[in-house]
Parts: sequence; C-alpha cells; structure tokens
Amino acid sequence: MPAIATPDLDTVDDTELTAVPPSSWQTVVWNDPVNLMSYVSHVFRTYFGFDSATAERLMLAVHHDGHAVVARGPREVMEAHTHAMHDYGLWATVRKEPA
Amino acid sequence: MTDKIVVLEISGLEALHLAGIVGQFRDVVTDTRRGDDPAVARLLPDAYPDDDEATREFRRLTGDDLLGRRAADAEVVLRTLGMDGGDPASDGDPDATLTVALGEEEALSWMRTLSAVRLVMATRLGIQDDDDHQPDDPRFGIYDWIGYRLDGLVTALDRR
Repeated sequence: MPAIATPDLDTVDDTELTAVPPSSWQTVVWNDPVNLMSYVSHVFRTYFGFDSATAERLMLAVHHDGHAVVARGPREVMEAHTHAMHDYGLWATVRKEPA
Repeated sequence: MTDKIVVLEISGLEALHLAGIVGQFRDVVTDTRRGDDPAVARLLPDAYPDDDEATREFRRLTGDDLLGRRAADAEVVLRTLGMDGGDPASDGDPDATLTVALGEEEALSWMRTLSAVRLVMATRLGIQDDDDHQPDDPRFGIYDWIGYRLDGLVTALDRR
C-alpha cells in the first residue's frame, strides 16, 4: 500500500487558506462490471478500517446506486485515498463536496 | 520470515496458465509504449472526470508508482508460483499439484494482481457492463476462473 498522506500541519499565515473548509472534498468509488463484490468489501474494510456492516453497505451502494462517497476531508487526503483505491484497481475519483 | 497465512492448492496446468497470463500482464505494464494501451489506462483511472488538467497532474504523480507496483506484485506471484512467466511450456509438471503458501504481503500481491489482470482482460474482451458476458467464448472462461481464484483468496483473507 502507498503510505496515506497525512494533512500538512505547517502553520501558514494566510487567511485565504481558511476560506475552504478542510472537509469539502470527497473520494468517490464508482461501479464497474469487473471488480468482485467480495473484493470491494474487503478493500473498504481493510484499507479504511470500516466494520463489516459499513463496508458491505458502501459496497452495495456502489453496486446498486453506481457510486458511493467513501471518504470526506481535505483534498490531499482524498487524493491519497484515491491513489490507494487505484492501487486496488477500484475506479475512484476526487470531487468537491456538492453544495 | 513472515508467517504463511494462506495456502493455495493449484494444479500444475493451472499454474502454467496463470504464470503465462501474469507474465504477459507484467510485460504489458512494463512496456515503454504502455501509455497508448487502453488496458493500461484502466489501471490508472481519471481522478478528476471533469478536469483534464487535474487528472493529468494526478496521473503524473501516481501513474509510475501504480504501474511499478503492478509489475512488482506480478513478480511476487511468479516467484511464489516458482515460475518466471517466460515460456510456460518450459516450467513445471502439468500433472502435479502445487501447494503455494503465502505470507500476508504475498497474499495481498496475489490479490491485487488477480484483480488487475481481470481489469486488463475485461478491457481486451470489451466488457463494459454486467451483461457483457459470452459463456461460449473460452477467453471468458479464463476471466471467470481468475475471478474464482480471487474470490477464494479474498474469502481466505477475510477468515483470519
């Protein structure tokens, strides 16, 4: 697994940076006809540390609704999660939290 | 030494086929012309579907890492199979049953490789939705067989 990037905590005296709340980005996993349901659940459980019920619920959301938001937070962290999902072959994207 | 956590029993013939497929997969992801291959593109999805520039930047930062990891995982599979993925006919005895004992990291390399091989095969087979499945086409048989092996491996890992 690639290391999960943690948010950079360097103090920056720039008030513009505070205009965007840190939780305004999402990692989204999309349905595809290839990845097995058991595999997707396994990845959600082991990578994100979700309990079995949560992993199963998110996997089924991907399967039936076409996609599921699996994480919310700062953009760099969502990109790190997306990189990790790609490492497992899952079709993941990053997006701004819809208003 | 890491503890062996998964034991696979696999026929010599199955191992030969698998080594051949994984060897081809390794060649695909290490090909310097891989950028034009749609199957390789499936291993590096667009991170920002509505933003080409951000997608390119994301791929620039992660693409080599991901393909390098696919090649390294494939090497682990070939090594633990006791084969180098070259000419399948020169390796192993098709009538024997191989026992492949995997440590945790090796098992995860197998899992990611079987998953990625399916993605590449699906692109080659033109599978775009759940109904694109032709049972009469022998290539789908191999695709399904790899899925069966992957599902068994996931089940074994989940049981721990």
